[in-house]
Amino acid sequence: KMPKVSEVTTKADTKPKSMHRAKIWSDVVENLYRFQQAGYRDEVEYKQVKQVDQVECWPETGFVKKLQRKDNTFYYYNRQRECEDKDVRKVKIYVY
Amino acid sequence: FFVLLVFFLLKVRGPPPAGSVKQRPAKHTAFRKFYERGDFPIAVQHECVGNKIAWKVEIEDLDYHYFLPLFFDGLCETEFPYEFFARQGVHDLLEHGGSKILPVVPQLIIPIKNALNLRNRQVLCTTLKVIQHLVVSAEMVGEALVPYYRQILPVLNIFKHMNGEL
Repeated sequence: KMPKVSEVTTKADTKPKSMHRAKIWSDVVENLYRFQQAGYRDEVEYKQVKQVDQVECWPETGFVKKLQRKDNTFYYYNRQRECEDKDVRKVKIYVY
Repeated sequence: FFVLLVFFLLKVRGPPPAGSVKQRPAKHTAFRKFYERGDFPIAVQHECVGNKIAWKVEIEDLDYHYFLPLFFDGLCETEFPYEFFARQGVHDLLEHGGSKILPVVPQLIIPIKNALNLRNRQVLCTTLKVIQHLVVSAEMVGEALVPYYRQILPVLNIFKHMNGEL
């Protein structure tokens, strides 16, 4: 089952209202892990900062494939899961 | 009778060990030289959730004929950060190379052979995992390796009995 990339429309300066930590792994948590590894809160902030409409994802799994960091270097991610169980608690989930 | 007695009492020493499983000293690689010169478009990022390699240039724009054999040459390295960059760099290049990998396969054989010839256990394990990844990274890569089996397999033959002990 491919996870849907978030459909939250990016408005200028959209800020989250609250945050909590992930407890169990899921496809959404995996993508959040990847965004936070690259230095972003989540997909919303990435689209705001980089001014892009689409995030490059693996077609087979739907996980994020490539992100450009704020220093303009690129992070590449695996087709399969990268967020280990011990790192799940470090993933922040933002609520808008 | 005396001759038989001598044979029983005296043990004939076998030949000395040939050193087939003995580790060879590693020489400084071209990868190390290029890395110290700053020729690679990579930087290590120490994040709170683990180390990751950051690329200064998109992998899709890289010349695989130049970079992929260089990264494979770094598989011989055992020291940080050379070993980490080589291993992670090869992984990223193979994961995102697609059709650019197959034409470069003949140039990868010498670096793979050099890494295996070191007989270093850590390097052997890393190289075997890289070969596994190489084979599934693109179509026809496995078939492209067949003519080079005679260069790669002899060292693996030496360690084939070390199941779980490598």
